[in-house]
Formats: sequence, structure tokens, C-alpha cells
Amino acid sequence: MTPFNGLLFFYIMALLLVPAVVLGLTNRPLKHYGFIFTVIMILFVFDTWEKRVTLIAFYVLETALVLLYSQIRKKSRSRPVLWLFIALSVAPLAVAKLGALVPRLNFIHLLGISYMTFRAVQVLIEMYDGLIIEVGLMEFSYFLLFFPSISSGPIDRFRRFRADLEEVPGREKYIELLRVGIWKLMWGALFNFVISSLIYTDWISKLPESGFLATISYMYGYTFFLFFNFAGYSLMAIGTSCILGIRTPENFNMPFLSRDMKDFWSRWHISLSTWMRDYVYTRFAAAALKGEWYKDRRTASYIGYIITMMTMGLWHGLSLRYIVYGAYHGILMCVNDILDTRWKGFKKLKRGEFSSLLLILITFHLFSFGLLIFSGRLF
Amino acid sequence: MEEKIMAILNDICGADEGELEPDTDLFEEGILDSFGVITLFVEIEKQLGIKLEPTELTRDEIKSPALIIRQVLQRA
Repeated sequence: MTPFNGLLFFYIMALLLVPAVVLGLTNRPLKHYGFIFTVIMILFVFDTWEKRVTLIAFYVLETALVLLYSQIRKKSRSRPVLWLFIALSVAPLAVAKLGALVPRLNFIHLLGISYMTFRAVQVLIEMYDGLIIEVGLMEFSYFLLFFPSISSGPIDRFRRFRADLEEVPGREKYIELLRVGIWKLMWGALFNFVISSLIYTDWISKLPESGFLATISYMYGYTFFLFFNFAGYSLMAIGTSCILGIRTPENFNMPFLSRDMKDFWSRWHISLSTWMRDYVYTRFAAAALKGEWYKDRRTASYIGYIITMMTMGLWHGLSLRYIVYGAYHGILMCVNDILDTRWKGFKKLKRGEFSSLLLILITFHLFSFGLLIFSGRLF
Repeated sequence: MEEKIMAILNDICGADEGELEPDTDLFEEGILDSFGVITLFVEIEKQLGIKLEPTELTRDEIKSPALIIRQVLQRA
């Protein structure tokens, strides 16, 4: 069974959400049932023993690392130790990605491994920062395995998630959560099953495999397809989360209205771009600034963008197209930064009525071309 | 302390003294970006000895000079 796909999935999920709705409407805490819901849904989706054993092994490793690190961190704050724990936490994901290239390493097949790894690494880093001191086994397990966003995000943050767990919304607030949840589920289904499917069947799949004009048409089609497909999944995940009393963060905010690439990354796959910003980009930039690595401090930002975007590209996979996709966005972010800091007219252009429309059009083509690289049609 | 924080902020934003209003939305106006925020945190730590972790505060909690000053003073 695939998450958010097929009538049987939705039938089972709807049935299993009924107790959550009853608990929410009767002012009772949702966290215990929410965890049970997650475990049952996982049993349905991870429907072979091979998948279940892989998930259990991954879960045990990540949980052990986080619980052990929380004990170590109470005694000392060592950066090499943090790096060691991050490396161990990322190791299964790295092996899974390498498996696509090296047949010997092709033994980890785990749905949601990327998103669960993001969750675990984030907890480790915030423990190092002293922002997370203690994690309970149940709350961490629930956070790591939280079903609605396990396969495609959005990527939540532990402290925010825990605050929702501790809150009993009460009848009135829950009715609002339920309304938003159902609304988002409906929109998500419309995006995913109707619009993106139509774009795929009536547009993309009918295009010839090569040719300049067909490739241009594919670029537009693929951009809209990916948006409606991915935003649809995200909306369904957020909607389901709401019904469980968890306010999973938004993942898209009208990306087609972006006026430059920085604006685009604050609107497209937001939970990934902010994760990368908070745990890769700012970490590198802070280290470079503190250590005074570069004469011009803005250099730290440019190199930070390249590292961050390349990491994001590699996270998608180790193929050439993902590496080029990461490099392409890294370069675009640097150019954007140069325009922001060295050309005062750029800010005015972004605010002008006509010029902002022009920038929206240019930005749309820049990220559409990026998605064309990402799609693998070019190479 | 407040003057010192404002001087750091002015330096990062490339603003003259008194140019930034206390309630200016620094992100909305395009004055501060991710790099600006991390530079601000690093400079506050260097000059005032107050450490702010990159994800300690949300953007809403530091979106104006007044809010930044309040957050730093709370940790002084």
C-alpha cells in the first residue's frame, strides 16, 4: 500500500481517524491515540516483513543515537562528537543513496528514510545547541515515525511538534483544526489526483521523447505537474496532521509568484529549504564568520549557498542531474545575492508594478529550467 | 547595551544612525536576510558575549529592531 494513494488507503485512514476526531471533540488529548494511529498505518504501508524489519532497525539505530547523545551532551559539548553522531545517523540514508550506484550497497530500501533522517539529525543538532535537553522515548518515536509526513514531508521540527503534543486543543480549537484538515485533504486530493494526473496524461505523456519544442513544452508541463503532485501530497499530509492535532508546517506558498530565487526558495518545498538554511547554510556561515575565513564576509554566504544547494541536490540522489541541479541553484542564489547587495535598483524592480511582473516571469523560467534538469530529460 | 545592539544592526543593514525605525519589519522590507541574521548573531556574541543559536528564535521573534533588542536584553 502506498501513502495517500488508492481508495483502500483512504478508507482505512478515514476509519482510523474517527477515534481521533472523537477524542478531539471531547476535549481529550490526542497524542496517545495519534501514536497508535501512526503505528497501525505504518503496519499497513510497510506491508512485508522485509520492510518492517528494515524500519525497525532504522528506528532502533536513530532512537539509540538520539537518547545516547542526550546523555553525552549533558556532560560535554564537543563538536567532533556531534559530527560522529550525525555521520552515524545519516549512514543508512547514505548507503541507500549509494546503493543506486554500487550494487553491493543496494540493500536498504526504506520508504521515508530521507524524511526520518532529517528529523533525527535536527534533534541531534538542537541538542548540541542546548535547545533540546531531554527527549522522551514515546515523543521522539512519534516524531520520528509520524505517519502523515513520513513519505514526502513536510519536515517538521521537534520543539514545535512537541508543543502540539502537549496541547489539548479543546473542542472549539479542534473543530477549527478538523475543518482546516478536511479542507486541506480535499484540496490536496484535487491537486494530486485530478490536476497533476490530467497534466501527466493529457500533456507530458503525449510529448515526443526528443526535440527542442517538445522539451520546452515538457519543461512547462513538468513544472506544473510536479507542483500539483507534490503540493497535493503536502496538503494531504498537513490535513491529516491537523485531524491528529499536529500543525505540520506548510510546504508551498504560491511559488509561481516568486520575484527572485530567494523568494522562490521561501515558497517552494519550504520545509526542506528552511531545514537546509537552518542546519547547513547558517552553520557554515557562522563558522566562517567566527573564524574569519574570508576577507569579504559575504564570501561566506556565497560558498554557503553552493554547499547548501549541492547538499540539497545530492540528497535527491547521486545522479549527475541532481548534482547539476544543486550547482545550478547554488549559482542562482549567489547571483541573486550579488544583485541584492550591489544593485540598489533591484529592490525597486521587485516592488514596481510592471517590473515585478517581469521578474515573476523570469524567475518562473529560471526554476522551470532547474526542474527540467531535475527531471532527467536533458541528461 | 541598546545603543550597541543598534550600532551592530545598522552596520549589518548598511543603515545610518536613526534610519531604522524600532518597528520596521526588517524581513518584509528586504533589509535583513538569512546571512544578515547569522552575521547579527555572530557579532552579538563577539561584541556583547551573548550567544544566540541559529534556530533559537523564529523570524517573527526578531523581525524588527525593537524585538531584536528585547530578545538580546532578555539574555543579558
